[in-house]
Amino acid sequence: MLELINLSKKFKQVHAVENLNMFIEKGEIIGLLGPNGAGKSTAITMLSSLVEPSSGDVKFNGKSILKNPAQLRNIVGMVPQDIALYSDLTAEENLQFFGRIYKIKGVELKRKIDEVLKLIGLTDRRKDVVKKYSGGMKRRLNIGVALLHEPEFLIMDEPTVGIDPQSRNYILETVKRLNREKQITILYTSHYMEEVEFLCDRIYIMDQGNLIASGTKDEIKSILSAEKVISIKADNMNDAFIGSLKENPLVNRMVVSEKEVTIMAGKEVNIFSPLIKMAEDSQLDLHSLDIKTPTLEDVFLHLTGRALRD
Amino acid sequence: MIWQFIKKQGLLLWRNPMQLLLVVGLPIVLITILGTALGGTMNGEPPKINLKVALIEHEDEEKQINRFIEDFSDELPPEMIESIQKGEEFRFIQTLKDTVFGHEDIKAFIDFQEMDLKDKDQILNDSTYTSVIEVPEHFTYEMLEGILTNQNNQPALLVLNNEGSQVGAKIVNDILVQYQDKIGLTNFLAANHLDPSILQSTEEMRFSETVSINQSQPVTSKEYYTVGMAVMNVLFVASTIGTFAFIERKIFVFNRIILANVTRWIYFSAVCLSGTLFSFFHLLIVFGFAWVFFDVSWANIPLFILVSSAFAISVGGIAALLTAISYRFKSEVVTSFFSSILVTIMAVLGGSFFPLGDSSVLLQTLGNFTPNGAGMSAYLAVLRGDELEAISGHLIFLVCFGFAAIAAAAVSFPKRGANI
Ligand SMILES: Nc1ncnc2c1ncn2[C@@H]1O[C@H](COP(=O)(O)OP(=O)(O)O)[C@@H](O)[C@H]1O
Ligand SMILES: [Mg+2]
Repeated sequence: MLELINLSKKFKQVHAVENLNMFIEKGEIIGLLGPNGAGKSTAITMLSSLVEPSSGDVKFNGKSILKNPAQLRNIVGMVPQDIALYSDLTAEENLQFFGRIYKIKGVELKRKIDEVLKLIGLTDRRKDVVKKYSGGMKRRLNIGVALLHEPEFLIMDEPTVGIDPQSRNYILETVKRLNREKQITILYTSHYMEEVEFLCDRIYIMDQGNLIASGTKDEIKSILSAEKVISIKADNMNDAFIGSLKENPLVNRMVVSEKEVTIMAGKEVNIFSPLIKMAEDSQLDLHSLDIKTPTLEDVFLHLTGRALRD
Repeated sequence: MIWQFIKKQGLLLWRNPMQLLLVVGLPIVLITILGTALGGTMNGEPPKINLKVALIEHEDEEKQINRFIEDFSDELPPEMIESIQKGEEFRFIQTLKDTVFGHEDIKAFIDFQEMDLKDKDQILNDSTYTSVIEVPEHFTYEMLEGILTNQNNQPALLVLNNEGSQVGAKIVNDILVQYQDKIGLTNFLAANHLDPSILQSTEEMRFSETVSINQSQPVTSKEYYTVGMAVMNVLFVASTIGTFAFIERKIFVFNRIILANVTRWIYFSAVCLSGTLFSFFHLLIVFGFAWVFFDVSWANIPLFILVSSAFAISVGGIAALLTAISYRFKSEVVTSFFSSILVTIMAVLGGSFFPLGDSSVLLQTLGNFTPNGAGMSAYLAVLRGDELEAISGHLIFLVCFGFAAIAAAAVSFPKRGANI
């Protein structure tokens, strides 16, 4: 349905997106995963015809959208990363306005507004100005507005940023339902790998403007087939221990957080005895030492040497 | 479609009471302050002209005419006699009473009284009278004789003016001079045996001329500042609309609008139109307030509406221009520069604070090339009682300015105003 060919965007200094190649088929949920600043939003604004790429092309059903974006626009619903709503208007007034600019009118508009409000769970609050909403409610309305004209292709740019877990689950479930029940094709952007893992059939991972991996979840995780992921937990994680990990040639990659260190090492290497010895030397209260099933997060770590979230 | 944008814009304004208060309330507050502060010294009303004129006749005019006809029935042609019998134009004093002092516009400021000869002394001692007009004995008889028999000994009216009321006396004299001219014309026509009744139309014309000079009222300081504050503050409507549009882009709503296949032309027209419409309402509210509370009234309402419309179009143009520039440079600096500094400069140039144009022709010209200055000049002219012709130049400028601004804005409006 949609194809991105060597898509690039350069701002004065920054290569926000470099030679991005992607395809999206009808009915799929595609994940676009990457840390902040990876170029996800830039990619999305280009593929939705909002911004012209510096080079490359976007093809919708085989035809370039660069000159003729109207057809794509007709079927696209866009959930921007920021809350793109009039905060001084009520949910209903927002929906009315955006419905009318899509030329939906009268009874039909009323029916669609009711339907959307129900879907996003804001029927009771329809008469309240958006300003008074919680973060989660704003996010939901932000999605609702994009659904009003019943798009076939929904693009969501980090739709769950900064909200409570409950609203987040609600949104994730809704996205899944939209795909299953209405066969809406979805491009879902996030820097939360759990969301992408939960929702998506296929995944693209971006970092610093470049695509670093793509495929189904299993395909991507198989990148890690030659390595094992070990999680080390301790209550008194200290610099001496971390320092000796860094120096150890058996440790390929590592991410440090307060009470946990995740490391990667070759599958065939015995790393447990050295680890325990290092812990003893630096007087670490070892809590646990686990081999983990690799996550997308670990794949990202493997590919970039950095954590997805910092 | 455009209507949807205007409606939404209106709602946004309505939900921003602070903004609304600032835009509509500020001029009202300023007008109130200036109105009250200036109330004592330069208070409103122009010095009200109120004259009192008495007319004293020594002899009844009708009797003199009958006598004249008796005396001259043999010498003059019968048509002439008949026209003297019937013609208003030979009843000089009656004409003075009816058409001159009886004229609606003159009655408005001259209290005209016919008095008896026996009251003369009393009147002359009464200082409330501006002038006393005394018609000597045989006046009409001698006038007729002078005109119709080509004698040159014409009688004169005796006018006694009150020393203390020079301005008033001057006005009365002016009126009498006009009247005399008219009689002179009658003389001329009659002497040449033309029908003096053609005078009736000319006479109307002459008096309406006098009247229009009298109508041209000076603008009071209260009116001046009302117009000054209104035309200045309406510029904030433009910056408010410009700010709304800029925020629309900043919060990515504009991206949604693009994706809905709304062309920039529609978007843009909506910005202009809401600027025009809201400025128009703004002007109505502010001037309406000044009318109710400060008695700044508009005699010529259609012309007032016309000026307001033309001015509102120019403000709509400014709103469009501000929007386009802030989109182009992706910055609100332009709009805030406009509302903080440029408005003040334009207001000074346009004469909102004091009549700058009085000090130099150059500044006056410059002032009239700001939309608010042109609007101000037009409004003041309407208050003065000028007609459409007198202000058409300003109106044309305002409308042209509006459209030029819209065109400039449209050209510089980025093709894809989208935001990442
Ligand atoms: N309008 C812009 N001007 C200059 N640089 C930009 C602009 N938008 C984004 N960038 C840069 O491009 C890179 C990618 O940004 P973005 O696409 O927003 O990343 P993401 O959505 O993945 O967080 C970042 O380095 C960002 O600073
Ligand atoms: Mg982003």
